[in-house]
Amino acid sequence: MRYFEDFATGERTTLGSHTMTEAEMLAYARKYDPQSFHIDADAARRSIFGGLIASGWHTCAIVMRLSVEAHRRMDAAGAGSPGVESCRWLKPVRPGDTVTAVTEVLETWPSRSRPIGFARRRTEVTNQHGETVLTLVGISMYRRRDGAGA
Amino acid sequence: MTGARPAMDGTAFFDDLEVGQQWRFGRYEVTREEIVEFARQFDPQPFHLDEAAARESLYGGLIASGWHTGAMFIRMVAECMTPRVATQGAIGFDDLRWIKPVRPGDVLSVESTVREKIESRQRPERGTVKIESRVLDQRGEPVMSLVSLVIVMRRPS
Repeated sequence: MRYFEDFATGERTTLGSHTMTEAEMLAYARKYDPQSFHIDADAARRSIFGGLIASGWHTCAIVMRLSVEAHRRMDAAGAGSPGVESCRWLKPVRPGDTVTAVTEVLETWPSRSRPIGFARRRTEVTNQHGETVLTLVGISMYRRRDGAGA
Repeated sequence: MTGARPAMDGTAFFDDLEVGQQWRFGRYEVTREEIVEFARQFDPQPFHLDEAAARESLYGGLIASGWHTGAMFIRMVAECMTPRVATQGAIGFDDLRWIKPVRPGDVLSVESTVREKIESRQRPERGTVKIESRVLDQRGEPVMSLVSLVIVMRRPS
């Protein structure tokens, strides 16, 4: 099991990759983000985007999935997240794009009141052309090895 | 949607939005089935998937993925706000906080406030509007908050 103490500043981890299909993009957008450029191919072609693009929130959800899988592979003692400091959708994600997420630990600090610790992470998502499509800076919480508060 | 200006039948452009302007909108009933379905697809952690495992977690019961709360928020925005504002999407958000767990049976709504208008020098036809939103539960308590950076078109001259 990897605990809070096992995460070091500067550590980089490839969370994984995912190829976006048009079907899954439409399914997410129809349910949660039904704007024309996410759900209607003709309207999307006429929009500033020139074609269907994924909801930015969908791309974030995909990154969450990749993160959960990566944390499972490393058997991390994850304890959720209090939030995200910044999220930027820098380039559209289109059907058939393969996105790859890499995360870096920016700093870590223990909780003063609970048996957990925090890691501030910057996650960068690139497409198959090496272009950055999304950056996220957020906080992850992990259980401590000793299970005790400071 | 309440508090919308100008009139509900008009589209609000960048020029029409005022700092401090506030809207209340949306209604979203959170179901156990949807929490589990979203979690299976995007956030398969035990406290989002399985009631028994969730009871033994620090949350004491099944809770929605934070990204599911984000998805429910954007659904309410897409339904109630987007059709009334000349927006071309958002470039991102800052300061997203998952304040309180969202549980089956909760009923969510949104309160949004215009915080800042930023004109674009490179693209005079549009601007960026910082909109702070709070997702509230049926008790009026915030469960999530964030500041969205929304692209809004200028009124055509």
